[in-house]
Amino acid sequence: MSLPLTEIEIFLDFTASELSISQNSISLETRFRDIPTWSSLNALIYISRINEETNVLITSGDLSEIDNLGEIYQLIKERKHGHN
Amino acid sequence: MAITKHRGIKIQGIVNVIPELSEDNLKLTIIDENERQKLVNHTGIRYRRISKLPVKNLFSRGIKEAMEITGWTIDDIDILICVTQTTELSIPSVACQLHGDFNFNQQTICYDINSGCSGYVYGLHTIASLLSTINSKNPRALLCCGDVSTHLLSSDDTSTQPIFSDAISVTAIEFNQNDDTITARFNLETIGKGQSAIYTEINAQNKKIMKLNGIDVFAYSVKYVPQNIKALIETAQTPDELPENYIFHQANKLINDAIVRKLNLNIDRVPQTLSLYGNTASASIPITLCTCLNEIKNWVLLSGFGVGFSVASALIKLPDFVPHKTIEI
Repeated sequence: MSLPLTEIEIFLDFTASELSISQNSISLETRFRDIPTWSSLNALIYISRINEETNVLITSGDLSEIDNLGEIYQLIKERKHGHN
Repeated sequence: MAITKHRGIKIQGIVNVIPELSEDNLKLTIIDENERQKLVNHTGIRYRRISKLPVKNLFSRGIKEAMEITGWTIDDIDILICVTQTTELSIPSVACQLHGDFNFNQQTICYDINSGCSGYVYGLHTIASLLSTINSKNPRALLCCGDVSTHLLSSDDTSTQPIFSDAISVTAIEFNQNDDTITARFNLETIGKGQSAIYTEINAQNKKIMKLNGIDVFAYSVKYVPQNIKALIETAQTPDELPENYIFHQANKLINDAIVRKLNLNIDRVPQTLSLYGNTASASIPITLCTCLNEIKNWVLLSGFGVGFSVASALIKLPDFVPHKTIEI
């Protein structure tokens, strides 16, 4: 556990790196299902990396209720601060 | 919380039966060629085994080999339990079919348990509980576990195809009425709200197929397995009972590594067999245990987790020597 993913720039940098895309191509408004590299495998790796860095768990139910990276960022922020 | 303790139980032999036919995830055409190495790196799975024989035939071979390595005879067996979710016939049970094929004693307790990835530990617990109730000096049991599940996978499913693999294992277990020492502790739990993480459904072609929600299996495993293991280890009475080795169900590397991190374990104490054999459901614990049986001299932690969602861990004291064998057919 190390990366402070509750900081927007670091979160976007991390997301771009984990999904093998350029950081310039994404923002908090980006719909994650529209990211070309988003697949069942990459989504699982991404969720497991978020857990590794922050201890936050995100389920498929969580993802089904949200659309964009900003909402994933918000989930991390809320759960990191004990609202899991 | 079902934490139990059992005296006098001893594992006296393990036989793993693994299909020779394997498929290589680096050649899995449903995955983009550029993604295959990444898949292998993150799942830890290079090869998966495919059985052309039904699970009963694999159990049958395992029983024959188990009789050889233990020196037991069919007449010695008081209990035969088969843990599987992939029987060819749903009626009668595989255990009863094998009873007939081998001509076990009429008095042999014989039934199936429908359980997947946690099934080895559930099977051990069932046998440990039953053996102590049998009125003989050294009652003996066989635990057959495993699945032939690859025929349940949709050929274009990138979630299940790279993961699941066929294999079985047979464990010989004996109870010593005169041994008053605790040799097994169990912590069995079910989180039924996770039932949709792994399930079967009937597809448009009226074929039963297995579905996997990888993100939820990850979430349930990481949330519930470490706490299940911690609660069990807290029941250890002496430092001697603390496990040196941890044998986990071989789910995939992402999940298993996350559990290792949560428990802060030394990875050298957590053997893995994912690369060679894939996820073999309830056979994965005994298959992995056999890779380090010669080094383990005392207590070992076994933990199975998955379909259900079911979590089951055991602290087991192993005898100094456990005959074991892994065969490919």
